[in-house]
Amino acid sequence: MNNPLTANVRSRKDQIYVIDVQGDLTAQSEDTLMAAYNTASQSGAKAIIVNFEGLDYMNSSGIGLLVTLLIRVQRQKQRLLAFGLTDHYQQIFALTRLNEAIGIFESEDAAVTAVAAPA
Amino acid sequence: MTTLRGYWRNFRGEKEVEVVETAVSPLPSTPITQISNLDLDIAPNDLLLAYVQQNPGVLDVDQLKLDSPALAAIRDAGIRLIVPLVSQGELIGLINLGSRLSEQEYSSDDYKLLADLATQAAPALRVAQLVKQQQQEAAERERIEQELKVARLIQQTLLPQDLPALNGWGVSAYYQPARAVGGDFYDFIYFPDGRIGFVVADVTDKGVPAALVMATTRTLLRAAAERLEAPGAVLARTNDVLVQEIPPKMFVTCFYAVLNPATGHLRYANAGHDVPYRYTADGVVELRATGMPLGLMPGMGYDEKEVTLAPGEYVLLYSDGLVEAHNPQREMFGFPRLQELMATHANGDTLKDFLLDQLAAFTGPGWEQEDDVTLVTLQLGERLETGDWRLAEISSLQSPISISPIEFEIPSAPGNERLAMQRVAEVVARLLPAARLEKLKTAVAEATMNAMEHGNKYDPDKPTRLKVLVEETSIRVTITDEGGGPPLKTATHPDLEAKLAGDQSPRGWGLFLIQNMVDELNVRQDAQHHTIELVMFLNES
Repeated sequence: MNNPLTANVRSRKDQIYVIDVQGDLTAQSEDTLMAAYNTASQSGAKAIIVNFEGLDYMNSSGIGLLVTLLIRVQRQKQRLLAFGLTDHYQQIFALTRLNEAIGIFESEDAAVTAVAAPA
Repeated sequence: MTTLRGYWRNFRGEKEVEVVETAVSPLPSTPITQISNLDLDIAPNDLLLAYVQQNPGVLDVDQLKLDSPALAAIRDAGIRLIVPLVSQGELIGLINLGSRLSEQEYSSDDYKLLADLATQAAPALRVAQLVKQQQQEAAERERIEQELKVARLIQQTLLPQDLPALNGWGVSAYYQPARAVGGDFYDFIYFPDGRIGFVVADVTDKGVPAALVMATTRTLLRAAAERLEAPGAVLARTNDVLVQEIPPKMFVTCFYAVLNPATGHLRYANAGHDVPYRYTADGVVELRATGMPLGLMPGMGYDEKEVTLAPGEYVLLYSDGLVEAHNPQREMFGFPRLQELMATHANGDTLKDFLLDQLAAFTGPGWEQEDDVTLVTLQLGERLETGDWRLAEISSLQSPISISPIEFEIPSAPGNERLAMQRVAEVVARLLPAARLEKLKTAVAEATMNAMEHGNKYDPDKPTRLKVLVEETSIRVTITDEGGGPPLKTATHPDLEAKLAGDQSPRGWGLFLIQNMVDELNVRQDAQHHTIELVMFLNES
């Protein structure tokens, strides 16, 4: 039933890193998500794109975790972007106004292009 | 022999004396009246028992000085001599003699005669006892067999008497219990709109206990199927009731599918049963859906899957008695063999006989069936014949009135909100558009999390209770914890800027989310409970 989060880190061009998350984003995912972020950050990431295509379920603790991630990203003067969210979770991002701080895109390429373009 | 038979259950002095007096005295014409009846039950720790085992032979009652209740009883009955009958070290009877009719003392010849008699009578008596015991055991066996025969007849009435007659479809079934009665069963459930439910189930264990659980499960499943439509919800409901009824360490695996014969659409859920196979033009595939067996734990959710069978395809439902059969080399029949055999056999109507032949060839002659074997096949012919069906398509939105309140509990443990979410979704899936269903699911998950974490402190002894009520115009889901006491905190409006600036905790989104997901939110509490009610209107406007 529960589907622990896995997070895979990939590098794209120009210090852009993609974190592919799979499973449930809940309070239990903190270590996994932060470890993935640290990997990307320590490799010199200037932008992190979270791929939510494999997301099964996200609850309010998961949203809290994204806020924590956002705080750390902003401290490091990095950018946080996302794609692959279902309509339902896009709505929740809008409701919480997370979509104003995290750029939401239709696809990975669209997110990568957005990083390259002047902010 | 007839006289001796009296010796081993109750030692009646009168008869025993008769026997011996006949032997001792040539004049036994007068009836013996001077000793009274003696029903002697010797306690296992009575000293007399140990004494006679160590001192075989004829014993003069007056000479015995033992603190023995049995000896006192013998003495009171006017008995003068006792002759223990001992076989293989075990006292199996006593010959008791009163005074001689001639009023003379017993002579040494009498003693010798009695000792000889005892030597011969003891084994004869033992044989008689064994014969009688065997007769009783045989009668007992016969009685049990008779009862099993009746049990089997009753069980047969619980299995379908007829196969479904469906235009364009072939259905076959086979059921062979390993013992007189079995724990497997299959069932067909007919719905008014023409759909048919198929059930194959297997109760742990065999014989009478399994058969009793089988009968209960069948009834519960039918009751649930009448009230609920989704196969997953039917299994969940059956599970929740069965958990309270089933003996510990027993459970039931069960596959349940609902077929719309007009379209070939098959919706199914599985409670830990052997995964059925579907024969297709591209090979044999599994009808996989996950779920725990019935009767283990309350509040289980059941995956629901669906397929649409194409003309020429068939489905095999079966129990482990087939795949777990062994041959003389102790190899198992196994799933791969079954799958391979099916791949070679395009005709679902003859599959049952084909598999039984293969099973017989595999196990060889003289196989003692290890477990119940059940097979049900469902074959779609060359085309669907939709003309005869009352409903060519099943209405996707059934009247909500047909759903009565569903109540269930889930253990308060991290992550279990997903169980709650899934259960509620199963109940109301067809009543809400997809986007609104997602919102309700999120609200249910959040409210359940709050109840488990803040109300019940993740205490396993404090379950979180949910109730789903479908009314004419709305769905109401209530979630109740056992927290009680202080009122629920109302949501401080979470503010992203404040959180990013570190002025608010990054968390604290739960209630805010719930409020924004549902049409109405009501909170109640008493001394013991908090209850949160989530309302979704059926006609959003």
